[in-house]
Amino acid sequence: MTELRFHRQVYRGTAVDEAVKSFGSFAEFDLVEEADYWVVRLTARDPARERKIAGELGNWALGLTVQKRGH
Amino acid sequence: MSEFPVEISDASARLELDEAVYPLEAVYGAAYIFIDRCWVLIDKPAPGKWRVTLSAKKDGVDLRALGGEFANELLSCAWRHQITQQNQAMIEAVTTQAVGGAMGPPTLDELEKFDFSAETFEDPLGIAKSWEEKYKKK
Repeated sequence: MTELRFHRQVYRGTAVDEAVKSFGSFAEFDLVEEADYWVVRLTARDPARERKIAGELGNWALGLTVQKRGH
Repeated sequence: MSEFPVEISDASARLELDEAVYPLEAVYGAAYIFIDRCWVLIDKPAPGKWRVTLSAKKDGVDLRALGGEFANELLSCAWRHQITQQNQAMIEAVTTQAVGGAMGPPTLDELEKFDFSAETFEDPLGIAKSWEEKYKKK
């Protein structure tokens, strides 16, 4: 299991949600809201795949956040 | 000479940044440029601090060099952000004039309401003066 912690002052919640939806078919996801973080826990079928999905999910959330800021 | 502050661990490069020097907009800008080459995660570990973690997508990447390139890009983004902030009023004025010009000529009603008594702009070199007015015989 890999845990990604997206700080609320950096990432938009909607961007994290959209990113998780986009990668929903590649791993199992569990979303938790903390005071300062959006927490995403994911489990894939092997560690290499899990690392790749976690990395791409982070990039996706960041990309959406950057594109949507100021809207 | 002190070593560049890039921490290498777990196949990733980590940079700790001061928010006062690098605003979030600059960090976003630099991070966005790197998302095709590595996995980027931005965190705020403490008030006034950003932490950027760069994980290489492929093996054999020089992580210290990657961190250095990111720092250069970040500096460039921070500088551009500062210039934009400084010139914001001018950019807005030019944009307003351009949009106003694109709206077409004023109507008769608008001209009637317009205050022609106000000075249009400062002209310390006398460029707006007519030839006759500027070189008239005294």
